[in-house]
Amino acid sequence: MLLNRMRALAVLTILAAASPSATLAQTPSPTNPTDPNAPAAAADPSDRFFDDSQLHDIKLTCNSRDWESLNQHYLDDTYYICDFRWSDQVLRNIGIRSRGTGSRSGVKPGLRVDFDRYTTDQKFLGLKSVILRNNTQDPSGLRERLGMLMFRRMGLKGLREAHARLFVNNAYVGLYTMVESVDKAWLKKNYGENDGYLYEFKYDVGAPQPFVFRYLGADPALYVPIPFKPETHEAAPRPEVFERFIWAVDAVGDSTWRRATEEFLDLRAFVTHLAVENFLAEEDGITGDYGPNNFYIYRLENSNRFVFIPWDKSNTFWQSDYSLFRNVDDGPPTHQNRLAIRVLADPELRELYRATILKCADSVLADPALTSGVVPAADVVLTPAPPDKPGWLETEMAREYAQVHDAAIADPFKPYTNEEFEASIAALVDFARSRSAFVRRQLEVDRTLHPARK
Amino acid sequence: MLIAICLAALLAAPPDAVVEAPAAQGATAPAKDAARKPKKKKKAPKESEAAPDDPIDVDAAERGGGVRFVWKQHPSLRFGDFARVDFEAKLQEDAHSSYGPVKGLDPWELHRNRIGIQGHLFKHIEYEVERELTEKELTEKDILLGLTPSSQWKDVNVNLTYVKNAQLQIGRFKIPFGLDQLTGVTHNDFVYRSLGAIYLAPARDTGAMVHGRFFKRGLNYWVGAFAHDGDNARSKKIEGGDETAAGRLTGTPFRRLARGPLGAIELGTAYTLTRVNDDSFRPNGLRGRTVMTQDTFYETVYVKGLRQRWEADVDWTVGPASVRAEYTRVTDERQAQGLGDEDLPDARARAWYVSGTWVLTGEDKRRPLKAAAPLFQGGVGGIEVAARYERLWFDSVGPALDDPFRNPRAETIFPGGNRALTLGVNWTLNRFIKLQVNGIREHVEDPERNPVSNGAAFWSRVLRLQFVL
Repeated sequence: MLLNRMRALAVLTILAAASPSATLAQTPSPTNPTDPNAPAAAADPSDRFFDDSQLHDIKLTCNSRDWESLNQHYLDDTYYICDFRWSDQVLRNIGIRSRGTGSRSGVKPGLRVDFDRYTTDQKFLGLKSVILRNNTQDPSGLRERLGMLMFRRMGLKGLREAHARLFVNNAYVGLYTMVESVDKAWLKKNYGENDGYLYEFKYDVGAPQPFVFRYLGADPALYVPIPFKPETHEAAPRPEVFERFIWAVDAVGDSTWRRATEEFLDLRAFVTHLAVENFLAEEDGITGDYGPNNFYIYRLENSNRFVFIPWDKSNTFWQSDYSLFRNVDDGPPTHQNRLAIRVLADPELRELYRATILKCADSVLADPALTSGVVPAADVVLTPAPPDKPGWLETEMAREYAQVHDAAIADPFKPYTNEEFEASIAALVDFARSRSAFVRRQLEVDRTLHPARK
Repeated sequence: MLIAICLAALLAAPPDAVVEAPAAQGATAPAKDAARKPKKKKKAPKESEAAPDDPIDVDAAERGGGVRFVWKQHPSLRFGDFARVDFEAKLQEDAHSSYGPVKGLDPWELHRNRIGIQGHLFKHIEYEVERELTEKELTEKDILLGLTPSSQWKDVNVNLTYVKNAQLQIGRFKIPFGLDQLTGVTHNDFVYRSLGAIYLAPARDTGAMVHGRFFKRGLNYWVGAFAHDGDNARSKKIEGGDETAAGRLTGTPFRRLARGPLGAIELGTAYTLTRVNDDSFRPNGLRGRTVMTQDTFYETVYVKGLRQRWEADVDWTVGPASVRAEYTRVTDERQAQGLGDEDLPDARARAWYVSGTWVLTGEDKRRPLKAAAPLFQGGVGGIEVAARYERLWFDSVGPALDDPFRNPRAETIFPGGNRALTLGVNWTLNRFIKLQVNGIREHVEDPERNPVSNGAAFWSRVLRLQFVL
C-alpha cells in the first residue's frame, strides 16, 4: 500500500513538474470555452469564473471585526457585508455567511457568497450566489471537484467547480473550491425551466434514525420541510406530492412498483446517478453510511417527476474497495436506502446500474488524450490509455494537484498537515488505478447472484 | 376570558361609581405623574371614584386605623395611614388584520397581561412593581445563538418624595424621554404608540432619577442616569446601548401670559446621551418597523460611539379636544465601522407626528377619558375620535460621499422611512373597560423594503378591548 502511494506520488511529481500549458494541452479544460470538444452552447459569462484551467484568486474586503465574528460564530448563519474582487472585477455590497453541516469550521469557515444579499437583483457574471467550500473534511481538497467532474463526464448535470485562493483583507486565508449554487439560474441553464419545485435534502442530525425513503405516513409535513427543504415556492411547496412519491417508493407492491414510482421519478436517470456516485465510493451520498444525504431534488414544471441533482462530493473516493451495494445489500437496516433497494431489485434497472458502473470504470482509465472534456460518455469511444500511461482520472488528478499544490501547502488554516495532504493525494491516485478492477470483480460476482434478464 | 371579565365588569359596575376625579390632567408619564401626586393640601379630601388607571393620589387616601381592605380606585390593602398596597391588572386583547397573512401576526392576540402592585410607605416612599405575564420566552437554542431575552418586569421602583422639588426615583422605570412614550400604556389615544415612541424613544431601564416641579407645575424636570438606553433600543438580536444620561424639561410658558386656552399649552424637550459599543457580532443600531405588522423597513446598522437623542413636543388640551405633536432625532456614531475599519458618517433617525382627539360625548379630554355617563348607567360611555399622521425615517448625516446602499456598513445609508395615518375611535364604556378601533394606512417609502409587493400603501385594522383593574 505504502509502496503504491510512493509510486503514485512519484508519478504526480513528474506530471506536476511539467509546465501547466503542456498539461493543459494534453487535457483541455472541461469548462474552458476554448475546448474544441465542448458542445456548442450559448456563451455563459460565468464560464470564465469556473474555468478550471487556472487557480483563481478571490479577494474579500470586510470589516476586521466581521471576519472575526464570522469565525467565532461559525454555527450561526449571520450575513456579513463585503466587497468582492475576482480578476479585474469588483462587486460591492455582497453578503457572506458561514455554511456547511459537518464541514462547518471556526478556523477555516466554508462560505456562502450571496451577490444579491444587500442589493436586490445584483448578479455577478449572471450568478446570484456561489459557494466557497472549505474542504475541511477532505485533506486532498480535490475530491469535491473530481467527483463533480466525473458526474459531468458521465453526462449528468454536475456543478461547475474550480479552485481559488481566498484572501480576506489582503491576507491569504486558504485554498477553497468555488462551487456554483443550485438555484433558479442554474435550473434554467440546465433544464431550460426554473418554475418547478426545488428542494434541498437537509440531513436531520437530530432525528433518531435517518430518513431512508421509507413511508412515514400520510401527513405531508413528515417530508417537507424536513428532510426536503423547499428552495423555491417556499410559501406553497406542495408537500403532498412528496407523500405520494415516498408512498410509491416504499409502500406499493412489487408488481406495480415500477409503474407507480416512474410517475414520480425517471428511474433510468436515477440509476445512472446512483451508479456514478457508488463508483466514486461516495460515503455520504444517496446510499451513504449516515443515511441518504447530499443531493437536491427538483420536480419539473407541470409534472410530478423529480430529478436528483448531486451536491457535496467531498466524501467520494472513500476507498477503492468500497462496495457498490453498500447500504443496499449490507449495512444496518435503519440506514438501508429503500429507494435504492427497490430500484436494484428490478432486473433491468440493476443491469443498467452495472452497465453504468462499467462505463465509469472504462472512463477513468481511458486515454486522456482521446477522451478529454466533459462529454456524455455514451458518445465517446473510450480508448484505454496505454499501459505505461495514466488514465483520464489519474491525469486529471495530476493536473489539479499541480494547480493547487503550492496554495494547499501554504494554506494557513487547513485542519491537516502537509503530509496528510500528500498522503491523501496518493490515496486518490491509488483509487484511480485500482477502482476499476475492483468494481469489475464485484460486478462479476453480482452477475452470478443476479443474472441479467435474457 | 377577557371578554367574560369585561362583561362582568359592565354588569357589576355600580351606577354611582363615576365621580369626577381630582384634576390629574394629562397623566403623561409615571415620572410626571409621580411629580404631580403629592399636593399641598391642608386636608385630605375624600377619595373619589377615580378610574383604575388614574394615577394614585396618596393624599386622597381614606384615613383610618388598622388593616383594612378598600376598593375604590383599585383593590387595596391599607395599613393604618402609613402603608398602602394597591393591586392592579391590565389586560388588552387585540383583533387585527392587514394586507394579507402576516408571519407572526395572529388574528387574535392577548397583547398585554400585566399585574402589579403600587402604593406607599410612610407617606414619602412610593413604590411600584409591575410584571408582564405573557412575554414570550426564548428557547435554549435562541440563547445559544446570542439572542437577548426581554424583561418581563416592567416598572419596579421606589420614589422618595421627602423633597418635593427634588424627588428621587430608583429602580426600573421609563427613561424621561418622549411625550408619547411616557404616556401610560392604558392612557393612549391610539392602540399603538407613534413610531418614534416605539423605535426611537428609549422606554424603560434601570437607573436613578431626580425629578421635581416649580411654579405650581409650570416647570417640571427629570434628570437621571441609567444602566442602558431602554427596552426599545434592544431586541432579541440587538444588544442596545450602555450607560445613559437623560434629562427632560416640560413647562407651560404661556400660562402667565395668556389666560384661557393658550395657557394650557405644555411644551417639552428631552435629551439623552448613550455610549454604544460594537461588542456584539450583530449590528447594534436602531431599526424601523411598520406599526402593526412589524415588517422591518429599515435594518439595524453597525454603530459605535455616542448615541444622542433629542426630542421636542407640545401637548395642548382644551375642553373636549387635544392636540399633540412631537419631533425626535437620534444620531449614532459609527467609529471604525467601515469595510476598511474606517469611521463612517453618523447614522441618523428622525420621527415626527401630529395627532388630535375630540370627545364627541362632551366630556373634557383627559387621559384616561372619564365617561360622564357610563354604559348601562344611563349613558353610552365616553366616545372620542382620534387621528394621527406620522413619519419615521432613517439615513446618514452629511453629504453623500458614496452611492447610498442598504447594507449595515454603508458609508451613505440608503434612506428608508414609513408614513402612517391612523384614524380611530375610542369608546370608554366605564371606568374599567375601553374599546379602541384603529385603521392604519402605511406607506413604506423604499419599495424594496415595502412588505406589499407592488410598493403601495396598505391598511391595517385593529380592535382592542382593554380591561383595567
